[in-house]
Amino acid sequence: MTTLYLALAALVFSAIAIVVLCVGDPKRLRAVGGRDGGMASGQRRLLIAVACIPGFICVLLGDAAAFLIWLGGCALIGWALATYFSVLSKTEN
Amino acid sequence: MIHLKKDETKAMVAVHGWSGILLGLLLYAVVLTGTAAVFAHEIGAWSAGHVTTTSAFEKPIDATIRRLSAMTPARYREAVNLFEIGDHGLGVFFHRHELDANGTPTESGIYYQLDNSGRINRTLRGTAEEVFGPRNDDALSSFLVDTHVRLHVPNPWGLLLTGILGLAMLVAAISGLLIHRHLFKDIFTLRRRASPVLIDRDKHSVAGTWSLPFAFILAFTGSFFSFFGTIGVPVVAMAAFSGDVEALSEAVFGNPGTPDPRPVAIGNLDRITSDAIRRTGEAPTFIAIEKFGRADAEITSFHNPKASDIEPVALLYNGATATFERAKPTVGTRTSAGGTLAGIMGPLHFGNFAGLLSKAIWFGLGFAMCYVTFTGMRLWVVRRKDEARSLAWLERTLTVVGFGLPFGLVASAAAFLVTMPLGLAVYWTTAAFLIASGAAIFTGFFARSNDGLTQMLTGATGAVMIALPLLRIFAASGPGWTDAIAVGQPIIAALDIAFAAAGIWLVRGCWTAARSSTRSTSNIPVAAEA
Repeated sequence: MTTLYLALAALVFSAIAIVVLCVGDPKRLRAVGGRDGGMASGQRRLLIAVACIPGFICVLLGDAAAFLIWLGGCALIGWALATYFSVLSKTEN
Repeated sequence: MIHLKKDETKAMVAVHGWSGILLGLLLYAVVLTGTAAVFAHEIGAWSAGHVTTTSAFEKPIDATIRRLSAMTPARYREAVNLFEIGDHGLGVFFHRHELDANGTPTESGIYYQLDNSGRINRTLRGTAEEVFGPRNDDALSSFLVDTHVRLHVPNPWGLLLTGILGLAMLVAAISGLLIHRHLFKDIFTLRRRASPVLIDRDKHSVAGTWSLPFAFILAFTGSFFSFFGTIGVPVVAMAAFSGDVEALSEAVFGNPGTPDPRPVAIGNLDRITSDAIRRTGEAPTFIAIEKFGRADAEITSFHNPKASDIEPVALLYNGATATFERAKPTVGTRTSAGGTLAGIMGPLHFGNFAGLLSKAIWFGLGFAMCYVTFTGMRLWVVRRKDEARSLAWLERTLTVVGFGLPFGLVASAAAFLVTMPLGLAVYWTTAAFLIASGAAIFTGFFARSNDGLTQMLTGATGAVMIALPLLRIFAASGPGWTDAIAVGQPIIAALDIAFAAAGIWLVRGCWTAARSSTRSTSNIPVAAEA
């Protein structure tokens, strides 16, 4: 159960960072015709580091299962967000 | 990212494209069935209406094995394998090790199939290859697994083929990483208002980038499983054991010790199973008894990984006294990096290391791999469509395979549910897949447009998916939701909902696409008049 809770907590934490990264992604914003330049690269790097923290915690705790769930879950969340915002921009247009 | 020279990038793009396009369709079939096979156990329980939740190893098995032992000819009592089948029934394979006509090591014996109350349902005699096949109640999950593992091609060719496909996936992943200059910059960019080539490129590269680590993991572990027995073991046996595979197996996986062939009755198996459950926290997945009925008998109990770990557990017991000896590494007698690596290959490939959550994530990643494979092939075709009009047949083939394969799989599930109560599921599960695939190919020949073909296949897949829960309840007489949840099998209701929701989503998408294409067709004369 500890693995499950750790993995879910790690996923939620990283998901928040990934959402912020996606919302402020400059290239995505340019592609949908947004005037806002998006997030500065320093901010983005910081957010990437923040998104990776839960993974490091899983590794430090020696929980390989939670780490893999976190890694796979982040991949799916990132892909789903990119698709969601793309569909959203199409609907708005 | 990694910057290559222009000509190197060009070469890599060619390697990436050709590795995908030459084997992409087969790879897509392997990945799609592998994605579904992540839930093979759950699909088995859902389709056959399994309502037992207590493992066969959590109940007494000692008396049953002694009874079966007394019925079995002495020549087959060299070793015994115990594993779960059906609705937590027990599979018991009394066997001896021997060489087949080609000199290949095999196991020959008697395979008893018992139900969950210990009654013998079926007895089969022959070699392992002959007795272990799909049963009426697991034909659907067996079909999925067999398609994924070897595409129904006889061994060793099927395993070699899927191993090569795994390598092609690995090549595509590495070359994709090298050719993508803006891997992280493009990670959220999915353009909607661009040329079809750019739209397809974005779809392919975004899904590919997010799932890249898993493309490596799944391709590598898949190739490992395909090549392990077909190439790895024979080559090592030839190099180090003069071709003696049995000697290799004994040296690598066996338990060294002084042979003691004195006849001694086997120890209490119930004591072993309860001790193994106490030590690992869960029931064994497999029990192997070697040198059955001898003083030097060994019993190994195999388990899923412990919480927070991904390496499966194996416990070794003294067979005569039923006492615990030691935890057994996957390879050799001492823990090693190589042994651990070999041990984690399975959980890394199947995603079965942390229950339903890890399985669900591996299912999603498998779906992402399917999407990357399919959009990659589409991108290759769309890029060349204007240069070579003859590629239209390839685009049509892509649509037939890409959307026809899921249709074939859900049709085989529907056929299983209808024919299982009649005892004909083994034949009809495969036959229905072939009939549905034939229908998809036939439709592919005569469909007016590629979009129309996509809509037809998607709509048909959705319609069958909506019908699956109804077929399960009414044709296969499966348990209702309240009964399934009451006995601790909520997965049955969950899969019903998943199939119905996916089916409705597909039919709705197909309906919307059909309406918008009708509207745009009817607007053409108006526009022409204007």
